[in-house]
This record gives sequence, structure tokens and C-alpha cells, in this order.
Amino acid sequence: MASHGVLRGLGAGVRSEEARQKELQQIAAYNDLVELVNTKVAERQYTIEVLDLITKLLNENPEYYTIWNHRRRALRYLFAAPDPKDSSPGPSKRHAQDLVESDLRLTFLLLRKFPKCYWIWNHRNWILRIAESFVQTAEARKLWSEELQLIGKMLHADSRNFHAWSYRRFVVAQLERLQAPATSEPPSREARQSLTESEFEYTTKMIKTNLSNFSAWHNRSELIPRLLAEREAGSVARRKMLDDELALICTAINTDPFDQSIWYYHQYLMSTLSLDCPPQDRIVHDLSNHDRQKYYAHEMEYIREILEDEEDCKWVYEALLHCAGCYLEVEGGTQAFTTRDMRYWLDQLKRLDPLRKGRWDDLGRSLKL
Amino acid sequence: MSLVSGPGRGGVAAMPVEMRLFVDKHVRYIQSLDTRKDELEYWLTEHLRLNGLYWGLTALHLLGHPDALARDEVISFVLSCLHDNGGFGAAPGHDPHMLYTVSGVQILATLDAFDELEKRVTGGRNKIGQFIADLQDPETGTFAGDEWGEQDTRFLYGALNALSLMGLLHLVNVDKAVAYIQSCANFDGGYGTSPGAESHSGQIFTCVAALAIAGRLDLVDHDRLGAWLSERQLKNGGLNGRPEKKEDVCYSWWVLSSLANLDRLHWIDGDKLAVFILQCQDPELGGIADRPGDMVDVFHTVFGIAGLSLLKYPGLVEVDPVYCMPRSVIKKCLGK
Repeated sequence: MASHGVLRGLGAGVRSEEARQKELQQIAAYNDLVELVNTKVAERQYTIEVLDLITKLLNENPEYYTIWNHRRRALRYLFAAPDPKDSSPGPSKRHAQDLVESDLRLTFLLLRKFPKCYWIWNHRNWILRIAESFVQTAEARKLWSEELQLIGKMLHADSRNFHAWSYRRFVVAQLERLQAPATSEPPSREARQSLTESEFEYTTKMIKTNLSNFSAWHNRSELIPRLLAEREAGSVARRKMLDDELALICTAINTDPFDQSIWYYHQYLMSTLSLDCPPQDRIVHDLSNHDRQKYYAHEMEYIREILEDEEDCKWVYEALLHCAGCYLEVEGGTQAFTTRDMRYWLDQLKRLDPLRKGRWDDLGRSLKL
Repeated sequence: MSLVSGPGRGGVAAMPVEMRLFVDKHVRYIQSLDTRKDELEYWLTEHLRLNGLYWGLTALHLLGHPDALARDEVISFVLSCLHDNGGFGAAPGHDPHMLYTVSGVQILATLDAFDELEKRVTGGRNKIGQFIADLQDPETGTFAGDEWGEQDTRFLYGALNALSLMGLLHLVNVDKAVAYIQSCANFDGGYGTSPGAESHSGQIFTCVAALAIAGRLDLVDHDRLGAWLSERQLKNGGLNGRPEKKEDVCYSWWVLSSLANLDRLHWIDGDKLAVFILQCQDPELGGIADRPGDMVDVFHTVFGIAGLSLLKYPGLVEVDPVYCMPRSVIKKCLGK
């Protein structure tokens, strides 16, 4: 009912009678299975056989959220039941672990086919949280570490899958929780075992594979403030971080000035310089207005140079106007650019980007050009 | 918008063919949706049935054919999805969930059927309101979709949408929900599914619209988010959902309604977008697809038509950019 990217082929009206009959058989078989599962669950027949029927149905239709709920109801019952292969009474840890493993396999196979299905991601999350209650901390850590590897594979297949990125942040949080020592004392710097450094490295790796990966740039912008706090970075280290990031984005801009992901990250770095930036989001805490001017002027200088090769790149003019606006907020008079320059940049934006004409008109008014 | 010919110069019928909306075909397409029981797809999409009814009914209202589905049958079906706990499932026998509860309430509001609800289910409105209110996380202010606990800004929006339509917003902590949305804001002015998540046009719609219901649009960085949203328009006129992604008709709603809520509709080229949406129609059997030449579905059909309504395509009924329902229905429910 919400199909994406499926070509419009022959309509249902032109099916052959043979194809129609075949489809009717498929419908009957599917509906029989649905009815069977619903009946068994209504009767609370939470057996391994019913779990297998549920698996079969979910393989046919992983979007059927009620069936995932049924699965969790059955599993909750089975976790508490004795192992059928074992004569000892009471719940069996081995049995529960087998069930967990089988659900991890099921959801992994389904995610490969349906990487954007919310319900599969949810179930995986649920089963792992349950699994944690059966095992020791070390085993739980192993489970979540394997999960991080799985997400690595998912993001290798589609580096922009936002389910996978959100889940990655969630899994990292679970690993950090499990690695924290179980005392009420605040952990020392060494014991904190944060994954921020390795996650930051991961974004570097993803960006180097594909500069257009805005999901990776976004995550990087989220990690930087944490990274600096965890490193207990002083003024010098913070300035180095800012300069390194500006150098990285400068190279990226020079590689492909037409890619908007890169310019958004540039905007992020510029936003951390602003007086309006909340203290916790700033990269450098002790910027003077003189520092700010220097940064703005430096950015404008190399961005202007791109025009020598790419005079038809609208992002360049937009960035120049943005930096100029920031500059003028901290210092009214400047030799770096003139009002005439700004008017020229705005005219170029209007020429190159007529789709957004209304926005450029508004920008001209707000900059009083 | 310049698609409109001036008075006396011919109406929609005189439009060039690429600007024509096939109203009658879309109406017939939507009417046909419940007759396709000999297609496996009909059964595989049962988990979307109540959403589908909301999408289809809303499209029909915007097309100016509010009576194309039998009112009594629609109300009976909606109420057959209502559980004792006040939540709606996707279809009879499906578990209750926020996503369907919102659709159920939206359909009842559109059909002006809250009185019928009370007649058939005593205290129905309050039950539904309580189901929704119980899904708010008292610590963070956001909402879960159901008893299994998945949280997402989609559910937060759904909660405020349905509760406000029923006049029951007081059942939840709106200030806490607002604070949660603020914690999802990113440097680009956009919002994600949860704090730290990448900006995404669908999620931006839910957050901006939720803030609009709460009367707190002042918290949105209008220029920054407006700029980001305007960059979703690609050369072919279509809109994408995130940087460097493909265009898709459903973003004609998520992006465009957010621009409307921020008073920045003029920051994109509406004429080009309208032409793109119209290219995604199936000119023979009706319905609108994600992209030209693809299979149509009722989801893209309603969001394409709602987008055209925001663009003031001639002959369409005015849509409300916060609720994706006819503006007249919202005026009646909210008294404004």
C-alpha cells in the first residue's frame, strides 16, 4: 500500500486466468496460515510448533506487527517454561539462549531483505534486552558487540539507512552502559570505556569511502562535543580539533563543491563559532571576536578561490554570503569583502538557483542588499 | 500559483495535458481499493488498512468528493478496529497501536462522527484519550507506539494530533513533550526520531506540526530549517527527504507542509513541484506513485493531492498543513 520504486507494469485487470487462479491459491494459503496463528495464540498455545508457524508467517509478511507481538507473547511464556529436551523442572537457561539465538537469526535474515522495516529492528532490540537478563555481563557485552558488527554490515550495504544509524547509537549506548563499573562512584577517565573515540574513527572511515554520506557527517557533529569533554580537552586541543575539522572539510569542498552534505558540515563548524552557539556545543570555548573574524576571513578566502574553477557552483556563493553575514555580526567594518561583493554573490545565487528565488529575495532583504 | 488560468481563459479542462489532475480517475481508484480482494497485495497490506482508509478518505475530501465512500460503512469499519482499552488496531483482530489510533480519530473527525462514537461506545472519546495519554513517557515526555515500548517522534505527533482533535490535550504533559522535541533539534534546524538522530523530512513534519499544535512554533529556527527544507527540491521539481537522496512524492507533503507551517512556502518553486506530482499520476487507472512510471498506491496518492492543495491547485479543497485533513474540519474541531 506504500510501494517505493516499483515499476508500473501490467495492471491486475490484465492477468491471465491461470495467473489469477494461482494468486487466489496463494491468498487462500496465506489467509489459512494467518487464521491458524491467530487461533493458536487466542488459545494461548504457546508451543515451539506455534512459534514455527509464526516464523513462517513473518517470513511471508514481516510488516504484520500483530504477529511480532504474538511472537513476543509466545516467547515470554517459553522463556519461563522448562526445556522440553531436559527432564529437570523450571526454566532452562540453555533453552532460553537457544530461543534468543534463533530470533537473532530470523531477524538478521529478514533485515537483509527488508532493511527499512521498523518492526524487525524493534523485535531485535527487544530480544537482546531480554537476553541480557539471562546472561552474565561479559556475555551480554559479547551480544551487543556482535550487534555492532552486524550494523557495520548493514551500513556497508546502505550507508544512509537511518534505522541502522539510530540503532548503532543505541547499541553503542548499551555497550557503554555494560562497560561502566557497577559502583556508585563516578568512573575514572580510564575506567569509563567510552566508545566515542572509536565511533568518531568510524565516521572518518565512512566519510573517506563516500564524501556524500551526510549520515556520517551528522554523527560526527554529534560526537565532537562528547569527544572533547571525554578527552578533557583544553584550549589548545580544542583549537586543534576545530582547525583539523576545517582542514578536512576544506579538502572535501575542493574535491566536490557540488555536494550538499559537505556544505552542511561546513555550516555546522561555522555554527559552533557563533556567539549564539550554546556553550555545550562549542568546539572552542575562548574565542575572541578577533578570532572569529580570522576564521570567517580564512574560510571566505579559500572558498572564493574555488570560483576560479567553478563559477557556476551555487553553494560557493551561499557559503560566502553566510560567512559574510557572520563576519558582519561581530565586526561592522572589513577589508575582506564589500557590499558590492555581497550583492554580486546574491545575484549569482538568483542566476544559478531560480528554484529558490523566493528565499534569495528574502535573504537580500535581511542582509539589506 | 501560475498554473491557474485567469478568469475567462478556461479552467482546468483547458490546461496543458501535463498540468492536468485526473480527479475522476483518482476517485475511482480509491473507491476500487476495497474491491481488490483477489490480489495477494490486498491481504499482505492488512496491517495498513485503517491508515489506508484515512489516506483514501482524506484524498477524496480534498478532491471535492467527500461522499465517494459510504459514511456508515466507514464508521462501522473504524469502530470494528477499536479495542476495549481505547486503542485502534489496523484492522479487526490487529493489536492496538498509536499509528492506527490517530487514523481512527482523524477519520471520525473528518466524518464529524464523534457523536456516533459516543452512541456506540459509551465514554468512547475519553477511553481513546486515556489510551493515548498512557503511552506518554513521564520522564522524557515522548510517546511509545504501544505496550511494547518503541518510542519515536512520529508517535508524539500522533498523540498531540488525535488528542487535540478530541479536545483532550489536557490529559498529557504538553510542556514535557515540547521539551523532548527541542532535545531532538539538530544544528541544521531539523529534527530526527530521537535526540542525536539525523534530520529527516518526515520527522521534521512530525516535530514542527507537534510544536504547532502546542502553540510553540517560536522554538523553531525558521530561517535555518526553512533553508534546509528548500534544498530538498531537485532540478526535476520533486522533493527528497534528506541531502543527496532521490525525490519522492510523499515528501511533497512532509517538506511542503513544514515550509507552510514556517511561512516559507515561497522558498521553493511550487509550479515545478506541481508538475512533478502530476507526472507521477497513473493517467489510465488513477492514483499517484512515488516517481513517474512507478506503481501507484493510496499513500502517495493522498500526499501528492495534499501537496497540490497546499500549492493551491485549482479546484482542490484547502488542506490543513498541521493535520493533513481538510481545513474546514480542523476549523470545526478546534473552533479556529
